[in-house]
Amino acid sequence: MRPSRYSALDLVRHGLGDRPWPRAWRQHDLAPAYDAVIVGGGVHGLATAYYLAANHGMTNVAVIDKGYIGGGGSGRNTAIIRSNYLTTEGVRFYDRSVKLYESLSAELNFNVMFSQRGHLTLAHNDGSLRTMRWRAEVNKLEGVDSEVIGPEEIKRLVPFMDTSTETRYPILGALYHPPGGTIRHDAVVWGYARGADARGVHIHQGTELVGIETDGDRVVGALTDRGRIATPIVVNCTAGWATLIADMVGVRLPIVTHPLQAAVTEPVKPFLGPVVVSGTLHVYVSQTDRGELVFGASTDAYTSYSMRGSLEFTEELAGHVLELMPSLAKLRVLRQWSGLCDITPDFSPLMGVTPVEGFFVDVGWGTYGFKAGPVAGEAMAALLATGTTPENIAGFDLARFPEGRLVGEKGAAAVGH
Amino acid sequence: MSTKPPPATHRLGPQLGEVIDRTRPLRFTWDGAPHEGYAGDTIASALAAGGVRTFSRSFKYHRPRGILTASFHDPGCIVQAGDEPNVRAAHRRVEAGASVTPQNVWPSLRFDVRSANRAVSRFLPPGFYYKTFMKPERLWPTYQKVLKRFASGGRVSATAAIGYFDKRYAHPEVLVAGGGPAGMAAAVAAAEAGASVMLVEEEYDLGGHLRWGGAEELAFLAELRAAVAAQPGIEVLTNSAVTGRYDDNWVAVLQRGLPQHRERLIKARVGTLIVAPGLIERPYVFEGNDTPGVMLSTAVRRLIKLYAVRPGERAVVLSANADGDAAAADLERAGVQVAEVVDARRGGDVVRVRGSRSVAEVELGDGTKVACDLVVMAVGWTAPTGLLNMAGDRPAYRPEAARFLPGESLAPNVLAAGGLAGDGSLDQLVEHARAVGRRAATGEGAVPDLEVHAHPALFRGRTHGMVDLSEDISSKDIVAAAREGYDSVELVKRYTTVTMGPAQGKLETVNAVAVLAEATGRSIQATGTTVWRPPHVPITLGALAGRMFEPVRHSPMQSWHEAHGAVPLVAGQWIRPDRYGDPGAEVRNVRERVGIIDVTPLGKLDLRGPDVPKLLNQLYVNKWSKLEVGAVRYGVMCAEDGVVLDDGVTGHLGPDHYLMSTTSSGAATVWEWVESWLQTERREWRVHVTPVTTAYASINVAGPNSRELLGRLSDDVDLSSEAFPYMRVRTGSIAGVGSCFMWRIGFTGELSYEIHVPAAYGLHVWEALLDQGADLGAAPFGVEAQRIMRLEKGHAIVGQDTDGLTQGYGAALDWLIKLDKDDFAGKTELAWQHERGGYPMLVGLHPTDGSVVPDEASQIVDARNHIVGRITSSRWSPTLGRSVCLGFVARHLTEPGTVVTVQLPDGRRITAAVTPELASFDPEGVRLRG
Amino acid sequence: MILVPCPHCGPRNVSEFRHVGEATARPDPASATPAQWRAYLYLRRNPAGWTTETWYHRAGCRAFFGAERHTVTNQFRRSWSGGEVSPLAGTPAELGGGVDASTAEGAPEP
Repeated sequence: MRPSRYSALDLVRHGLGDRPWPRAWRQHDLAPAYDAVIVGGGVHGLATAYYLAANHGMTNVAVIDKGYIGGGGSGRNTAIIRSNYLTTEGVRFYDRSVKLYESLSAELNFNVMFSQRGHLTLAHNDGSLRTMRWRAEVNKLEGVDSEVIGPEEIKRLVPFMDTSTETRYPILGALYHPPGGTIRHDAVVWGYARGADARGVHIHQGTELVGIETDGDRVVGALTDRGRIATPIVVNCTAGWATLIADMVGVRLPIVTHPLQAAVTEPVKPFLGPVVVSGTLHVYVSQTDRGELVFGASTDAYTSYSMRGSLEFTEELAGHVLELMPSLAKLRVLRQWSGLCDITPDFSPLMGVTPVEGFFVDVGWGTYGFKAGPVAGEAMAALLATGTTPENIAGFDLARFPEGRLVGEKGAAAVGH
Repeated sequence: MSTKPPPATHRLGPQLGEVIDRTRPLRFTWDGAPHEGYAGDTIASALAAGGVRTFSRSFKYHRPRGILTASFHDPGCIVQAGDEPNVRAAHRRVEAGASVTPQNVWPSLRFDVRSANRAVSRFLPPGFYYKTFMKPERLWPTYQKVLKRFASGGRVSATAAIGYFDKRYAHPEVLVAGGGPAGMAAAVAAAEAGASVMLVEEEYDLGGHLRWGGAEELAFLAELRAAVAAQPGIEVLTNSAVTGRYDDNWVAVLQRGLPQHRERLIKARVGTLIVAPGLIERPYVFEGNDTPGVMLSTAVRRLIKLYAVRPGERAVVLSANADGDAAAADLERAGVQVAEVVDARRGGDVVRVRGSRSVAEVELGDGTKVACDLVVMAVGWTAPTGLLNMAGDRPAYRPEAARFLPGESLAPNVLAAGGLAGDGSLDQLVEHARAVGRRAATGEGAVPDLEVHAHPALFRGRTHGMVDLSEDISSKDIVAAAREGYDSVELVKRYTTVTMGPAQGKLETVNAVAVLAEATGRSIQATGTTVWRPPHVPITLGALAGRMFEPVRHSPMQSWHEAHGAVPLVAGQWIRPDRYGDPGAEVRNVRERVGIIDVTPLGKLDLRGPDVPKLLNQLYVNKWSKLEVGAVRYGVMCAEDGVVLDDGVTGHLGPDHYLMSTTSSGAATVWEWVESWLQTERREWRVHVTPVTTAYASINVAGPNSRELLGRLSDDVDLSSEAFPYMRVRTGSIAGVGSCFMWRIGFTGELSYEIHVPAAYGLHVWEALLDQGADLGAAPFGVEAQRIMRLEKGHAIVGQDTDGLTQGYGAALDWLIKLDKDDFAGKTELAWQHERGGYPMLVGLHPTDGSVVPDEASQIVDARNHIVGRITSSRWSPTLGRSVCLGFVARHLTEPGTVVTVQLPDGRRITAAVTPELASFDPEGVRLRG
Repeated sequence: MILVPCPHCGPRNVSEFRHVGEATARPDPASATPAQWRAYLYLRRNPAGWTTETWYHRAGCRAFFGAERHTVTNQFRRSWSGGEVSPLAGTPAELGGGVDASTAEGAPEP
C-alpha cells in the first residue's frame, strides 16, 4: 500500500477542502507471529524495518517500543550528521549514511530537513590539529570533502567565534567538512515509520519486551507486555536498554551506559551557519531553523541509567560555549534533557550476529548513533534477509572483542599528549 | 514620530497596594518612540498605561499579541531591550534610558507583511514543512533560507561584551521556592524552629496573590512580611527563581537584579526543599482567544492593583471561581464598564471573540454578542509541578479539581505547600504551610491534609482557538495531528511544537493534554503530560558559566621566558616556551655548544619503600630488580590491553628510595595508575608515593659543554665521565642550592644532565647557568628544538608516535619488553601480539627528496590507494640538512630500505625510505656516552 | 550534583571523584586465555540497579574505594576502603590525563 502522498499540491488540496490527512502509521493488534521482531522504535529499528520491506520484500515484521516511536536516543540527540571519521572503514560507513540522508526526503516522501550547512571540528593544540589532519587525509582518500582550515577562515565561516590568541585555549585550526550538518531527527523517525507502515510493517508503540524465548541456542519467540510473539528473529536496536535485553538471552556485551545531556536556548535570529564542535572544550553547538542553539558536551563521567540531568552539565557547557563565542552571554537556556549512551571500548557499534542464533544486535552506538541510522538499517536489513553480513559492518562484529580486533576509531583517543 | 511620550491615558489614581513610585518618572523608548513610566512599572505596564495594546507578533502567523497574563510568562510580551534578546516585558522593570523594541515584526509592529501568513494559514498547518519542499532536492537550501526568515526571537550581537557573572554556594537547611502567603508562613515556621532558611520569590516583592487582593489581604500581607523580616535566619531573595532541583537536593537558584550584574547562579545543597509556587492561571481556548484585549483575571488584577493601569474601557468577564468574581469587582472599581459577568459555574460560556487588531466584540454561549474591548477569563488553575517532577514525583490529575496535585512518590526531603498542595481558606493554607515549615526544619510534626475543592473543568470552549500563543498552535492543529497518528502527548508536542515556546508549557500543557485527550477519547490522566525539565525559568549562559576559572600552570622560570621573548606553547594546563627565536639555531647551539631547557612539567613521583622494585616491575615492561643505587633506567608502561601508556626514566636514589619520571601530560594519569595498583591489586606492597612534579624545577643542560657548565655550578659532585657515567643519578648542590639531584640521560642525543632543583630556587639556578655559561655559549632552547633533536634520535613521543591502539611491539619496543617477567601490566596482550605478528610498526622514514618535509598525519598509500601507514612525526633536521620522520607502516613494509609512497595534503605524492634505525643521527649514541 | 560517600571524608560532591568502574576480577595472567583476559578488559554487567564499583577520591583524600550504588536512582548504600575493594580494571584510556575518559582528546562526539 502506498502512503498518501505529501507534496505542496496535496497541501493545497487538503487546505482547500479542509480534508484531514490519513494516519502516518497505523495501529495494529499484536499478531501471534512475525518473521522478525525489531526491539526499539528509533531510527535504527525503523530504518531496519523499512529496508527489510523496501529492499528485500520482507514485510511480516514488527517493530516494538515500550514508549512512543523516537522516544529514546532518536528523540534526544542533537541531530548532527557527518562522515569525517578517522578510519577508512568508518568514513565509508558513515558516508553511505550521508548519501542516504541526502536522498531520504525524496525516498520517504517526508521532508527530513537535512541541512548540509557544514561541520567544523576545532583544534586547540597541535595534537588535536594532527588528528584533524589525519581525518582530513583519510577522508580525502575516500572522496569525502574535508580539509584542515586556519583561524582566519574559521572566523569567516563563524563571525561570532573568538579566534584570537588571547583565549585560554586558542584555536589553531579546524577540520572543515562541508557536507556535514543537521537534520530534523524526529522527522527521520516519522518518515521511516510511515514508509515501513505503508509497506506492511507493524509498528507497536507502548509495547515492552519482557523476555525472549529460546529453544536451546535459538530464538523462538518474544514475550511482550501485550502478549507472546512467535518469531525466529529478535533484533536489539535499543540504546540504553541494550544490556538489559541482551541479558534476556545471556549474551554479554562490552557496553557501559552513560547519560548524555543536551540543552537548548531560546530562539534568536539566525547567526550561526555551520555546526561547531570542540574536542578540547568538549562542546558542540548548532542553530536550528527555529533559531534556537542546541548544544551538548561529553557524556556524564559515571555510568548511570538516570535521565534526570545535572546542573554541572549546563554550567560547564555554558562556560565552554562562551569561551568560543563570548558575545552569547545573555542568551538564555530554555531546557535541558538527557538520553542514555551505550559506550563500547573502541567507540564503534556492535552489529550483527551473537552466539544465540536469531538474536541480532545493532547497539553500542555511544554518542554517534543517529547519523548512522540509514546505513545501519540498510545493512541490518541485508543481514536479516540474506543471512550474510554485509562488508561494511563486518568490522563491527561482537566477536572482535574476544579476538582483540578493536576498531581503529579508538586510535584517536590519545593517551598521552 | 513624536518626541514626547504619549499621555498616560490608562493610568489610574493611587491604588492601595501599588508598587509604582509616582515621584520617580522614567523615560525609555519603545519601537523608537519615547515613552514614560514610573519606577516600579514593568515595561509592559508602563506601555499599557499609555494605551499600548500590541507588543509583538506571533511566531508563525504574525498575529498581533498583547497582554495575556501580565506576569513573567506572558507570551505576547517578549521584547528586545538593548542588546538583550527575549526580555519578559511583563516582569522586567522599566529602566531609565532603555531602548526597547518588539521582536518578530517586519517591517513594523503595526503593519507586519508576514501576517499575510494568516490568509494562507489553512495551507500551513503545523508540520506542513514535512509534507513539502522535498523536490526538487537542489532547491531545499533555498527553501531553508526562506524558512529561517520566519525564525522568531531577538538578536544577539557579535560584539557584546561577556559581562560579569559570579556564583555562590549555599547550604540552607530549608529552601522555600515561592514567596506567597504559604511560602512566607513556611519560612517563618522553619526559622522559628531554628533552621537556616532561604526564601526565593520570582516577583520583586513577597506576597504572591495577596498583593492584588483587597484591604484585608493587604493587611495580612503586611503582617506576614513583618514576620519574615523579624526572622534573622531567613534570607530573602526576590526577583529570583529556583530553576531546578537535582539529585540529592542540589538546587539551582537564579538571583537577578544585583547591582553589578543581572544574574547570579546560587548552588545550594538544601536540607529540605519546600515547593510553594502557587498556581498559574490557565487561559481558555476559544476562537479569537489570542486577540489583544483577551486577558486572564490575574492579569487584570495585577494591572489595576499593582501598576494602577486600566486594562480597557468595557469588559466581559467569564468567571468560574471567586478570583474571577473579584476581578469583575476590581474592574468596576477601576472605572471599567463591566458589560457582563458570565458565570461558567452556571453554564455560561464564551464562544468567540471578534476583532482584528484588538477585541471588538465577544459572542457568548447563549448567542448574545457584546461589544467590548476587554475579555477577562477566570477558568481555572494549572499546578506548576516542575520542581516536584524533578524530585521524582508523578503528580496525579484530579478530575474534580481540574488540576494536577502532588503524587505519592515525592522524595522525603521535598515538601509541597500552598495551592500546589491543595485548597482551603487563606488561614487553612497558612496553617498547613506552617506545619510544613516545622517539619522541614525538624523532621517532625504532622502535616494536616488539605482539602481538594471542586472546580469546573474548562479547557476548550465550543470553538477552536489558540492553545500555544507563542508557537501559534491551535486546538484544531492538535486534533489534526492526533488524527494523523501523532497521538501521544510527546508525539503531538514534537510534531506541532506545542509547549516548546518560552513558557515551556506552563500556560499550554494542560490545555494541550485536554484537547488531545478529547481527540483520542482518553482521560487526561491516561494521556499524561510531557516531561517537566529544568530550568524552571530560563537562565543566561553567562550566569551558568559564571567567572570562568581555568588554571594555568607555569614553571618558576616562566617570568624569565616571557621577558626573553619565548613563544608560548599551550601543553595541557601548562604554558611552556616553544621557542625563543629560530629553533634551528637552538638545535645547532645544543649540538655544538650547550643549551638549557625548562622541563619542569615532566611528571615526577617520589617512591619510597622496600617494595618499589616490585612496583616498577609490575608497571614497566622491562626489569628493575637489579637497578643499583645511583643508576637510572628508561621504561615504558603499557595498560592491561597492551597499549602504550607512558614512558619515562626512573632512578634509584638511595635505599628504598626511587624517583619516577613520566611525560608531562601523563603525570596525573601515571600517578593514579600507580596508586590504583597499590590500593587495590597489590595492597600488601609497602610503597609510599609522593607527587613532586611541581616540588622541583627541572632543567635539561645539554651539549658538548654541558659537563663544563655544570661543573662550574656544582662543587660537591664529581662530574667526570668515570665518576658519573651515562644513566646515573647523583645528589648534590647546584649554584649553592642543596638537595638537587641530577641524572645523566640524553633524549637530545648529546651529553646532557637533567637537573632537579627545589622549585623555589629554579629561577636562580636557571639564571646562574646562563650567567656562568655565557662564554660556553649557554642559551635557552624550547620545546620545538627539543622535539627536533628527539626526532633526529628517533625517540618516539607517546601519544604522538603511538595512539590509542598501539600495543608495545608496534611502537618498536621489542628491545625493552621482557616477556620472561612473571607478570606486568600488559604482558598477556603483548605476548599474544608478539605471537600473532603482522602488526603495523613504527619506523624511521627519510623522504627521498630531503628538502620535502611531509605534514604530520600524511597518509602512506600503496599502489591501489589503500592506506598502509601514516607519518606521525616530521621535521626538518638542521643537523642532517634534510627532513626526518617517524611513522607507522604495515608489517610487510618495515624492512629497512623499503620505499613507500606518502600522500601529502596538497595533493602531491612523494616517496620515502625506511631507515635502518629509528635514530637518524648518531644511532650508536656515542655523543651521549662521553 | 550527586553526593558520593567517601569512606574517609564522608559525602562529597561527585565532581571531586573519578568513577573508575564496575568491579571485575583480574584473571591470573599466567593462565588466562585471550577470551578470558578480554572479558576482564571489556565485558561489564552494566546493570540498571545495584552495582559494585570502584571510585577514586581525586580531589580529596586520594583513596580508591569500593561502593554499592543503584545506577537508576544514584543512591549509595555502602562504601568501604580496605579488604574487599574491587580490583581495578579497564585500560587507562579511561584514566586519561587525571580527569576522566570523556575529556580525553579525541573522545567521541556526535
